Amino acid sequence: MPVLNRIIRMYRLFIVASLAGGMLLIAGCASAPMAPIASLNEAKVAIQVAEKDGASQHAAAELDEARQKLILADKAVVAENMLLAQRFADESTVTAKLAAARTEATKAVAINQDMIRSADALAEEMKRAGDQQ
Amino acid sequence: MNTLNINHVRAPRMLALASAVTFAVAGCATAPQSPDGSADVRSKLSALQSNSTLAKKVPVEIREAEAAVVIAEATVGKDVALGEHRVYMADHLVEIATAKAATRNAEDQRAMLSQKRDEARLAARTREADKAHRATELAQSKTEAERALAVAAAAKASSNAAEAAANAKEMQRQIDVLQAEATDRGLVLTLGDVLFATGRSDLKSGGTNTLDKLVVFLNEYPGRTVAIEGHTDDVGSLDMNQILSQHRADSVRSYLMQKGIQSVRLAASGMGETRPIAENSSESGRQQNRRVEVIIKNPPSAIPAASTN
Repeated sequence: MPVLNRIIRMYRLFIVASLAGGMLLIAGCASAPMAPIASLNEAKVAIQVAEKDGASQHAAAELDEARQKLILADKAVVAENMLLAQRFADESTVTAKLAAARTEATKAVAINQDMIRSADALAEEMKRAGDQQ
Repeated sequence: MNTLNINHVRAPRMLALASAVTFAVAGCATAPQSPDGSADVRSKLSALQSNSTLAKKVPVEIREAEAAVVIAEATVGKDVALGEHRVYMADHLVEIATAKAATRNAEDQRAMLSQKRDEARLAARTREADKAHRATELAQSKTEAERALAVAAAAKASSNAAEAAANAKEMQRQIDVLQAEATDRGLVLTLGDVLFATGRSDLKSGGTNTLDKLVVFLNEYPGRTVAIEGHTDDVGSLDMNQILSQHRADSVRSYLMQKGIQSVRLAASGMGETRPIAENSSESGRQQNRRVEVIIKNPPSAIPAASTN
């Protein structure tokens, strides 16, 4: 019986150890999450979209900031600080989107001003032509 | 965490307690612990939302920004970095909403601008068309005016020509009446010796008929001047004949002056017997040589019709 008791006690210990190990393993996974690949990719795509729109011309500061944030996110991944990587990736994305939005706004306003100018020029030309008569 | 636990409690009597705890938590969470900058982001969002024109154009973006601002306003305790991150995200979302609103606003204005430009173009075309129309009218009226002018000029020219022709005709008639001879010196009117008795210079009363016609002519053509030359035959001395011819010329001049012809138009000179037009050997020749020639000088711009005809 003592032998059996010892076996049972060891088995219990094993169970407890296993559970503890499992718990530790789960805890380890939770504290060191996977790199935020999706968010990093989203940031890269947003930057590419902004570049394509011509943000380097119309919203250079924002575009540059988005790139810097992505670099910081990548560095955080290397440093295995995935929380920070996530935040920088998100900030990069939102900044790149702002660069694109401001680029669009600048272009839209420029088009309008062009139209106003051409209309004014036309009116002016007509006025002059009228004066000559 | 407390609220979560309370949700599991089924007893409705716990509701009051739950509310109280929630309020307590909310009270603790607010005032002092909202992250720095969240208030600025909130006011920025409020500014956009209060501009109803712009806000209406980007409802989705404003909703996203609003959610981000609410998160940014939440307490983060001592996690300053999290607070900064949330404010950063909220701020950028508000800015994106603002930029997109500006873009949509510009796009909406474009339709109006395009309409305005079309109107300007239309006005321009109308004006051009009007101008072209006016130019055509102007050209037409100009052409008409020119044509009228040309017709008038032609009429004038023809009337001038007719007048000139009439004048020439009239002058020819006058010349015919005077029985003058057109020479290169002018019209030469020869008054025969019937005017004068031999050796006398005063005019015979019955012979002034031709001179009267000359007066009419000179009155008709006030620009004409006259040279009166006296001539004699070879009977008598040269001096005597010279004086006699001068006297005869003067006599004619005096007569014309009496009839009202200005003296400046009349030059009288005696030629004596130096320019005979016939032989002095016969009586008829001598008679021809005793004469006064009245030369009606051609005007400075001679009328060719008068001399050639």
